[in-house]
Amino acid sequence: MRSLSVWVAAVLTAAAAHPPSTAWAQDAKAGARKALACQACHGLDGIARLPDAPNLAGQPAVYLERALRTYRSGERRNEVMSIAAQSLTDDDVRDLAAYFAAIQIEVKALPK
Amino acid sequence: MSAKLSVATLAIALAFAGPAVAQQNIENLKQMKLSGVDVSLPPVPQTGKNADAIRENLKRIKLPPGFKIDLYAVVPDARHMAVAPSTNMLFVGTRKNTVWAVTNRNSGDMATEVKPFAPSAQFHVPNGVCWTKDGFLIVVEHNRVLNFPAAEFFYEGGDVAVIEVVPQGKLIPVEEESYNHHARTCRIGPDGMLYITLGQPFNVPPREKLALFNKVGIGGIVRMNAFDGSKREVYATGIRNSVGMDFNPKDKTLWFTDNQTDGMGDDIPAGEVNRATAPGQFFGYPYICGKTRITEFGYDKDPLPANTVAPQVLMDAHAADLGMVFYTGKQFPAKYQGGFFSAQHGSWNRTKPIGARVMFTSLKADGTADKTEVFAEGWLDDATGTYRGRPVDVAVMKDGSLLVSDDFAGALYRITYQP
Repeated sequence: MRSLSVWVAAVLTAAAAHPPSTAWAQDAKAGARKALACQACHGLDGIARLPDAPNLAGQPAVYLERALRTYRSGERRNEVMSIAAQSLTDDDVRDLAAYFAAIQIEVKALPK
Repeated sequence: MSAKLSVATLAIALAFAGPAVAQQNIENLKQMKLSGVDVSLPPVPQTGKNADAIRENLKRIKLPPGFKIDLYAVVPDARHMAVAPSTNMLFVGTRKNTVWAVTNRNSGDMATEVKPFAPSAQFHVPNGVCWTKDGFLIVVEHNRVLNFPAAEFFYEGGDVAVIEVVPQGKLIPVEEESYNHHARTCRIGPDGMLYITLGQPFNVPPREKLALFNKVGIGGIVRMNAFDGSKREVYATGIRNSVGMDFNPKDKTLWFTDNQTDGMGDDIPAGEVNRATAPGQFFGYPYICGKTRITEFGYDKDPLPANTVAPQVLMDAHAADLGMVFYTGKQFPAKYQGGFFSAQHGSWNRTKPIGARVMFTSLKADGTADKTEVFAEGWLDDATGTYRGRPVDVAVMKDGSLLVSDDFAGALYRITYQP
């Protein structure tokens, strides 16, 4: 299993591929630390560890931010996420979304 | 069946593999006919990079002196375990669609083969596996219960005979199906009945659900005939989400873990291990959890029901106590004999993660819990807060060694003792 530092490095590399967003890279770096709270279900690499949790790796930040905000407001409900999102600040939401969005993924095969 | 026909059937089965096909497969298997589904699935590789990485992780596991932990098998999504009564194999449930058959052909230190069991049954969250006294394997899914006669001898053939104990959609009302707390566990009681834990799907159940849940046994434990599902009754209520139980072979009482309410803070409520000494007992949820009154929906404003049975053991909040087993072996020192091991999956929403351990609890002479201590730990990296594994269940092998399943790493570990 890869260590957290490897993932942080991966995120920074990914962020470097999008030059204008230095702030975004910082968000992703902060998000890497905060994502420890997500790892049990979604994996630090954004690949879900539980069958009832979605993969977050490479998910667009705009989608992730909206999901977290709507869980937090109660507009969207899930027994786990409604609780997990409750304590998140706006900064947390932005950092976490930036982190998972920055993980690069590759599709290996489609069903035949 | 001709080869051509079976290939055609397989293609159809794969193209339209839905509930109707699953039910037809079960009908075929019940009549000991072939399902027509390809049952020659490839085994899970037991060597290579993944196995090596898991072994490397195990170097960090701390155990009491004289104990040793090794990789026993690579088993993706490994959840609850049922060690075969006669042969050197076991079945392992998952929260996905597979029950694994784990075989040790050479009686060596590791399993030699890991393959899907009865793939044509098309399991859905087959988390709970257990044996009847006569060697029938019970598989409890999200909303179905199957019974496989002599499974430890017949599994190699792929298609196996099956008895439908509870048909699809009849374990709980279909409208109450949820993807939260839907992993069942099972045991056969001293009365020969099949006991099943049924988690309730909410963090805290709303009041309007309580009457239905108590009637069905959701948020409780039910028991029934292990072959035809008859004589079903609710055995215990007032439970939030139990994902592990075992009968004490000495006094026949039923012990079970219960997972605590989320969202009330890092250090409350405590996790529970409970002891049911008779049918019909009430264990306090949703009015109380550990020692904490539940505030959601105002349950703390209600008087605590007078008949509430208190937990035997209070565990660390959010550590997520899952599978448990009484130690019936002789290999471990005397202090472990007659007590029980329990697995902690580890927290998901605590500021500083806790858990991912195997605990041991000794009993007093009167059969109640005495002391609880950490037996195995190290899957949670304290420095970084990252998980290297998450224990789910514990099982005693015939030689007295202890198996631990891990659905995060996808592995079974074997703990042995040599003085």
